[in-house]
Amino acid sequence: MAKQLQLLILDDEPIVGKRLAPALNKLGCEIEAFEDPERALKRMEEKEFQIVVTDVRMENVDGLQVLEKVLAWSPGTKVIMITGYATLEIAREALTKGAFDFIAKPFTPGELRKIVVKAAQALGFNLKHGEELVSG
Amino acid sequence: MAVIIVSSDSLSTAAHIAEQTARGLNYRCVGREILGGLGKRYGASEEKLHKTLDELPSFFGVRARAHAQCMAYIEEAVLARLSEDGAVCHGLAAHLYVRGVSHALKARVLADPSEIIRETMKQKGVSPEKAAKIAKHEEALRSRWSIEIYRSDETASSLYDLVINLSRVAPEEAVRMIVESSSHPRFRPTTYSVKCINDMALASRVRVVLLALFPDVVVEADGVAVVIETAAVPREKEKRIEAIEKLARSVPGVGHVEVRVANDMVRQAAESFR
Repeated sequence: MAKQLQLLILDDEPIVGKRLAPALNKLGCEIEAFEDPERALKRMEEKEFQIVVTDVRMENVDGLQVLEKVLAWSPGTKVIMITGYATLEIAREALTKGAFDFIAKPFTPGELRKIVVKAAQALGFNLKHGEELVSG
Repeated sequence: MAVIIVSSDSLSTAAHIAEQTARGLNYRCVGREILGGLGKRYGASEEKLHKTLDELPSFFGVRARAHAQCMAYIEEAVLARLSEDGAVCHGLAAHLYVRGVSHALKARVLADPSEIIRETMKQKGVSPEKAAKIAKHEEALRSRWSIEIYRSDETASSLYDLVINLSRVAPEEAVRMIVESSSHPRFRPTTYSVKCINDMALASRVRVVLLALFPDVVVEADGVAVVIETAAVPREKEKRIEAIEKLARSVPGVGHVEVRVANDMVRQAAESFR
């Protein structure tokens, strides 16, 4: 049976998870959305996610710290950084630390969906049955 | 693929390093050869475009308005080429107007001063002392040009990701350093950095269309939305907005236009004295 793609969304603005989850659900991924970075990190210790979408600027733990921790636990995970405070320096830092992609807010759910599809393809998941994602 | 911009205190050095880098990476090399086609497209002579890149606006040279127009043509052409994958650019001042693009690697290659003097002696048929003076004067002029046109000193190392001194490093080693640096993950294009350069390219296309009629415009793009700032006296405000919107909408890729008009205080004051 095909394995379902596990995706975690982390953003301290609740609206982001609420808007992105249904849009990414259309791809057939299993999605968990978090607003608290510490709770998200705890969940990532328990369960492996193939794709993590995280905000950069958050209280207590920032997205770059999340990126480092995720890749330390699971080097194959594709981490997509989203931020309303994009700069050349942050983008380069994220890429140096191993981020898969970096996108500035505001963006449409469709734009993020494209990046998720690219990340899924890089992980060996193929698009089948329209937009549904399954692994081989 | 990264975009590489090579700047140097010697045009021929920048060209040589850029060509070798492009060859090493199998990228396109974008240099001053584009000025010929650009001149034909916009009806500006190639000589004028070269002068625009080398000289400051002046009464006897390229006048200020024409200088700004020629630079806008050059920016538009360069940004269009750099928004495509895999290019090495030199000699077109791109290091000054390609800003905030994380996948653009800017390299400054400092030519060997003795080489610059030798080249100047050969070109101008002057003594070594005179050639050294000319070289010093030209370097100061480049610095002034970049500050006056782009408010950024091109001789400042903080502008670049990589500074290589050819007095200490062989040219082929410099090329290897640039090639290797460009493969670092930090120079990988991201959705954000690609959008940055596409936004700049769209803004430059709109600016080129508007500049002939509205030389004061400042254009910024965000996706398909374009914001244009200009100044007008109150009675001309509506007419100006309408004209700018019409022209901007004719540019492919533009979906939404917002025109912000500030009060043209200078003209208003001048008219009140008539």
